[in-house]
Amino acid sequence: MLGSAPPTSAPATPARGARGGYRRPGTRAQLPPSYYEALEPLLGTVKKPAQYVGGEHNQQEADWTAADSRWLLCYPDTYEVGQPNQGIQILYEVLNRRPATLAERLYAPWVDLEERMRERDIPAFSLEGHRPAWAFDVIGVTLPHELGHTNLLNLLDLGRIPIHAAERTEEDPIVLVGGHAAYNPEPLAPFIDAAVMGDGEEVALEVDDVVAAHKREREAGGDVDRHTLLRRLAQVEGVYIPSFYAPRYTDDGRLKATVPIEAGVPPRVPKRTVQDLEQWPFPQKQIVPMTETVHERFSVEIFRGCTRGCRFCQAGMITRPVRERKPETIQRLVEEGVKDTGFGEVGLLSLSSADHSGIGKVARDLADEYEGTVTSLSLPSTRVDAFNVTLSNELSRNGRRTGLTFAPEAGSDRMRAVINKMVSEQDLLRTTEVAFSEGWRHVKLYFMIGLPTEREEDVLAIAELGIKTYELARKHGKGNKVTISVGGFVPKPHTPFQWAAQDSPEEIKRKLALIRQTIKDHRGLKLRTNDPEEGVIEGLLARGDRRVAPAVERAWRLGARFDGWHEMPTLDTWRRALAETGVDLDWFSHRERDEREALPWDHLDSGLEKDWLWEDWQDALSEKELDDCRWSPCYDCGVCPGLSIQHDTGYDGGMQLPVVPSGLGGNEQLPVTPERYASGA
Amino acid sequence: MQQRIRIRWTKRGRVRYVSARDLSSIWERALRRADLPIAYSEGFTPHAKVSFPDALPVGYDSTGEYAELTFAAPIVADRDLARLSRALPEGMDILTYFEVPDGAPKLARMLRATMWELVWPAVDAAELTDRLTARGRALLAADHIEVIRHRPDGDRTIDVRPAVLTLAAATRRAAPGPGGGEHTVLRAVLRNDGPTVRPNDLLSALGGDGGCTPAAGAPREVDIAAPTRINRVAQGEVDDGGLREALTGEVEALVPDVDAEAA
Ligand code: SF4
Repeated sequence: MLGSAPPTSAPATPARGARGGYRRPGTRAQLPPSYYEALEPLLGTVKKPAQYVGGEHNQQEADWTAADSRWLLCYPDTYEVGQPNQGIQILYEVLNRRPATLAERLYAPWVDLEERMRERDIPAFSLEGHRPAWAFDVIGVTLPHELGHTNLLNLLDLGRIPIHAAERTEEDPIVLVGGHAAYNPEPLAPFIDAAVMGDGEEVALEVDDVVAAHKREREAGGDVDRHTLLRRLAQVEGVYIPSFYAPRYTDDGRLKATVPIEAGVPPRVPKRTVQDLEQWPFPQKQIVPMTETVHERFSVEIFRGCTRGCRFCQAGMITRPVRERKPETIQRLVEEGVKDTGFGEVGLLSLSSADHSGIGKVARDLADEYEGTVTSLSLPSTRVDAFNVTLSNELSRNGRRTGLTFAPEAGSDRMRAVINKMVSEQDLLRTTEVAFSEGWRHVKLYFMIGLPTEREEDVLAIAELGIKTYELARKHGKGNKVTISVGGFVPKPHTPFQWAAQDSPEEIKRKLALIRQTIKDHRGLKLRTNDPEEGVIEGLLARGDRRVAPAVERAWRLGARFDGWHEMPTLDTWRRALAETGVDLDWFSHRERDEREALPWDHLDSGLEKDWLWEDWQDALSEKELDDCRWSPCYDCGVCPGLSIQHDTGYDGGMQLPVVPSGLGGNEQLPVTPERYASGA
Repeated sequence: MQQRIRIRWTKRGRVRYVSARDLSSIWERALRRADLPIAYSEGFTPHAKVSFPDALPVGYDSTGEYAELTFAAPIVADRDLARLSRALPEGMDILTYFEVPDGAPKLARMLRATMWELVWPAVDAAELTDRLTARGRALLAADHIEVIRHRPDGDRTIDVRPAVLTLAAATRRAAPGPGGGEHTVLRAVLRNDGPTVRPNDLLSALGGDGGCTPAAGAPREVDIAAPTRINRVAQGEVDDGGLREALTGEVEALVPDVDAEAA
């Protein structure tokens, strides 16, 4: 054929032993190759190629030789899912603001590109410089959940980094994980060098200092090696080095304890807590994607932490205490951010944004600011009360009152007492009635099944609540809709439910069938469910110990990737991997643990006292509710002592609502006046 | 006091992988960053009034993209569009603009033809240029040349000939170095009205690897490789010398400047 391009080959990956030069600090570094040229011919043949090219607004591209330390921030899922992640964007900004630090980003290539990269020997590359992963000093991985574990192994392997920490040498990067799933990193212990517990802002910079100092010392001829570096990292508060600890088991296979085996490391690693969010107003320069992602908006975290005490909620438990951002800071961040990025949507993020003590003012001021423009505002809220409707009305001034979401989480009052989701059915129904009467057309209700102590009537109560809500909906408009969304509960570490048995997928399926059967005559009432099998891998990895690690590796070797994706059914692969590595799923996931049993994360301190968690678990079993410590006395969960703060709320001296709560429901349970602070601790 | 402005813009470099469906949000955000008073559609999900006449296939370069922008208030076009150009991602630049007078024909009617440019790597240039020249002449002399296009939803036979207004091949010399040397370049002016014929259909009709199966009148054997670059040069009306560009009236020559620097 005439005109055929001569075969091009990707730049070769230097052998291990010859990579040290690329890692040297500053101008002494060799420049690693860019793989963009090699990648480009492949882009025409893969899905959504724009996700691999970088070049977005607010991307930071720094000179390799201007940096002493170089980070590759990695989200072990696709760009589409990972790009909006706030954790990565915060670290990207705080690290890149340092003159001698460089941070680039890495997302998982979809399987079509991976196959071609492997054929052509193209390593996992950064989005900015298309530089190979192996050349960086730190691979900083955020693990928002457990379903990225196989992708993490895959990215390391694609990045030509030995997947086993024990095989890495001075010239390999430090693989460091953080995020919620890092609160039990044991199933990843052999593959990671370090895990960071808690808020990342301060600790990332401390790790950066240690890495940069270590490199400079080596450059000056100092006799320091990888082990020295890990020892120094272990001295940074909040950094856990799994290879410095070993699990001890009893004869019957239970965990006895995980104990230090390296001198001078703490027996329990405490989590880091940023005490003043005002000092960390990031991310400001948010990346504006050029291709579709799951959330395209300018996001401001309006507070961190949550003390509502929902017993199933790991995020709420591990991020305590509550720390709010000032309303004026929120306003400033939003206004500057919208101008800078051009986003047409603003997200006011937190675990339950309607709980910010100044949310009424924040919402009113922003709604005023953007009145008559096309900028829309949204916030996630877990509240199930009239205030939530009021707030949503305010935020939807510019738009249509379409869907409003409430999360009762469980169907019966009894079950809600078990999970500590404090809302009665009566209030819930009144609230949805308010929503429909104020013009909302579609209410979505979120529920879980497979909760501890759940009986058939609790499951049926979900269907019945759906039906009652639907009847209210029809009363206010023939076209009104109700959707109930039901997911299987997965017990998570550092929660009162960490001792609970997880329901098997068969049991979840049976319960879903009950709900489906009960609502089948109500045609406008929709049911949305997740695949019950999806919780299986998540549950195993959430509460597994180090003995699960070989199964993770085996599953990856057998081809498991993208475990959270419908397109990639990996459960059969996992079952085979479990069988081959002798990991007993029932024992890890479907067994109730007792008080004496050590848990794989006992040496990782989320601040919560294990005694308190146990007490709360017992309260759950006896259907005893616990108030939010923002407006009732402290019950000593353990988080606050040692911090220089109590709950940092109420900048305005309490709630100043722009609109009076409708008084139609919900607020007897949740005082919305300044008294709630006065009556509290 | 709305103001309508038509622009010609580029899509080159990394942004060539951006799909047509992602373009509207890219433009909308750039307009907001540049703080220009773009008009929005009515309704509950308003969209910025930026319309694109047609979609460029993902992966193609273009110096011949067009758009019509409707502003809610008048802008100072040269200054403000320069600012918009800077706010757009790298590789997307506004080349020229034209304020639309009342009663002007629709943008699509000003873009009746497209000049495409196909560039091969620096191998076999002399022979390839000759072969394309000969096949091109034969194509222009024929009444029908058919190829079968394969799509997931089924095969379709397309007559390429009626869409081809003119074409020419040439050898371009680029400075030595990476991407340097002698390249074959094919420029063709294709009709925009009538059934869509894309450069790869044309390539298949010339015996090239364009992904279609040759049918009536097309060379049986595929003996020309796919080009490394396909560029939409400009759009407008066909002209004796090539293509008369829609907004400026300047003629883009059919035979490219053969001593141009490599792109
Ligand atoms: S220590 Fe007390 S005030 Fe602090 S989070 Fe725990 S219960 Fe609430």
